[in-house]
Amino acid sequence: MSDFFQFLISGIAVGSIYALAALGFVLIYKSSRVINFAHGQLIAIGAFLAYALAVWLKLPVLLALLAAIVLTALLGFVVERVFLKRLVGQPIISVIMVTIGLASVLDGLMYLTPFGSGNFSYPAFLPQEPLRLAGITISYPQLLAIGFTALFLLLFGWFFQRSTLGISMRAVADDQMASMSVGVSVERVFALAWAVAGVTAASAGMVVGTVSGLNQDSLIAIGLAVFPAVILGGLDSIPGAVVGGITIGVLQNLAAGYLNNFVPGGGTELVIPFVVLLVVLWFKPHGLFGTEEIERV
Amino acid sequence: MRNPWAQTGNYRTSYVQDTTIFATYREIVSVGVLLVALVLLPQFLERSQVLTLNFILIYAIAVLGLNITTGYAGLISVGQAAFMGVGAYTVALTAPYLPFYLTIPLGAAVAAVFGAVVGIPSLRVKHLYLALATLAFQEIFVWSVGRMPALAQGASIPVEMRNFLGYEIGFRNHNHFWYYVILFVLVLMVIAWRNLLRGKYGRALVAVRDNDRAADAMGMDPGRTKLMAFALGALYAGVAGGLLAYFQRSVVIEEFTLAKSVGFLAMAIVGGLGTVVGSLLGPAFIEYLRLSMERLSEWIKGNQAIQQLIPPGVDVASALLPLSFGLVIVLFLMFEPRGLYNWWRLVRSYFRTWPFKY
Repeated sequence: MSDFFQFLISGIAVGSIYALAALGFVLIYKSSRVINFAHGQLIAIGAFLAYALAVWLKLPVLLALLAAIVLTALLGFVVERVFLKRLVGQPIISVIMVTIGLASVLDGLMYLTPFGSGNFSYPAFLPQEPLRLAGITISYPQLLAIGFTALFLLLFGWFFQRSTLGISMRAVADDQMASMSVGVSVERVFALAWAVAGVTAASAGMVVGTVSGLNQDSLIAIGLAVFPAVILGGLDSIPGAVVGGITIGVLQNLAAGYLNNFVPGGGTELVIPFVVLLVVLWFKPHGLFGTEEIERV
Repeated sequence: MRNPWAQTGNYRTSYVQDTTIFATYREIVSVGVLLVALVLLPQFLERSQVLTLNFILIYAIAVLGLNITTGYAGLISVGQAAFMGVGAYTVALTAPYLPFYLTIPLGAAVAAVFGAVVGIPSLRVKHLYLALATLAFQEIFVWSVGRMPALAQGASIPVEMRNFLGYEIGFRNHNHFWYYVILFVLVLMVIAWRNLLRGKYGRALVAVRDNDRAADAMGMDPGRTKLMAFALGALYAGVAGGLLAYFQRSVVIEEFTLAKSVGFLAMAIVGGLGTVVGSLLGPAFIEYLRLSMERLSEWIKGNQAIQQLIPPGVDVASALLPLSFGLVIVLFLMFEPRGLYNWWRLVRSYFRTWPFKY
């Protein structure tokens, strides 16, 4: 039984990373109906920027983290302004394909840095000794992941409930025409959604970096794991992204703990999210909290 | 009096006229010339050049399929390589017992079944969700093959075919033999594609893509139409996979990864979505781009003077391919969303009305 709780806790830690990454993804989808295939690249770039600023430029850790978040947000903003803004009104295939193309370009750019070919890890700033509670061990990076996600959720909750920008984003997500007619700048909201997505992506990337080190492939893979999380939660639901992300993380850890012995080669945690994705699409395609499209002629 | 050789525009006035393939004799002649050129081409080429051509033609078949799912039905598929893999592995498992003209259709049929199963969500939801269903299938496929002892866990499975009707296929004529087989299959698949899509079914696909509610109201079944599109797209991929297995003499999982699927989408977009010409131009463009980038990175690796300029830790060689690939996709979508097909169309319309301007 303590095994089970161990898997659960580690799963929640991994899941909160997915939740964090999924938040930004859902935000983009909600405001502009774009499925962003370059999300994993944003995550990786955020994590690498933090490393570069903290280790190579020797900035203080907090300042480096903040600067990396701001720079990644800027990257998201620029991507929206330069590429996606021109494609407004184009068929959705073009828009999705542009994000796939961008993912490839960003991949190439990362190969031009040392991060493309090596593994790095942040200097340890957390205690190495894991915490033990009633037979369950939990490492400090895992705690950090959970804490970071909780913090961001609170921030986002405040942002969407109280700030004018957040409310206008919700308005655009709800009805573009109506919000345009009351003076909300839809263009600005789209750009902002990408910037905020950059913020969450960078923070997710840094948390992954502290938990499991910096490796381009595994950071980009988080971008793919986001898809099952958001589909399970409902593609356009922010609470859904969090619930979906944590569920996927827990399922992965349970699968790794219980199923790997029965599968030659193991690695069930790699495939479980996609099985969930397919099953959800078959039986409940709008996910747990997604709004069902009701169409009238 | 209508001139059967030249035309200044589209003067089709009835359904029967609209379903004709060729508007003028000129088009029939040009297709004939193209076919003759394709048949004669390998006689003037080295074995390695025929190898590249074979890959392009095989990818063209897969892209034709993608042009049904994505080009006509508007459903994004990022699993075309996995469907190709289904065909290839079916061939690898049945090749020791059956001749290739049975194994390839069998592989295509199995791939079509998989396509229909993956497309099941299309009965209920719209295109965006379907892209994710294909993504899931792509990942599950690669993972499962990697863990199946019967499929060598993704390592190479040999597919041997030494002779065909008494004709010995050895090292020297392997590429040429398969060139003609692939070309023959490609022509068959193009004819099937054209006939399928100019008739009732193709029109239903376009109607469902443009407005599925209106299509529903007019008596089409949007769910079934999309499911069919998925199955057909996968069927084409299955054929391509089967041919690839025989031509490469082996099946390896590396040929059927997500990156390859994205590559097919890029080929379809660069060529021009929903066109036969685009399905040929796109794979050719992307394959030659890939080859020249590989050559360029080889050259960089071999050139000491350039190696000196590159700071340590920078991997220019592996950066070139994704960079150029992504840039091509993005630039085409931004500046020429109709793809290479549009350039070809401009050239064609110039010659169609020649010597007049219009």
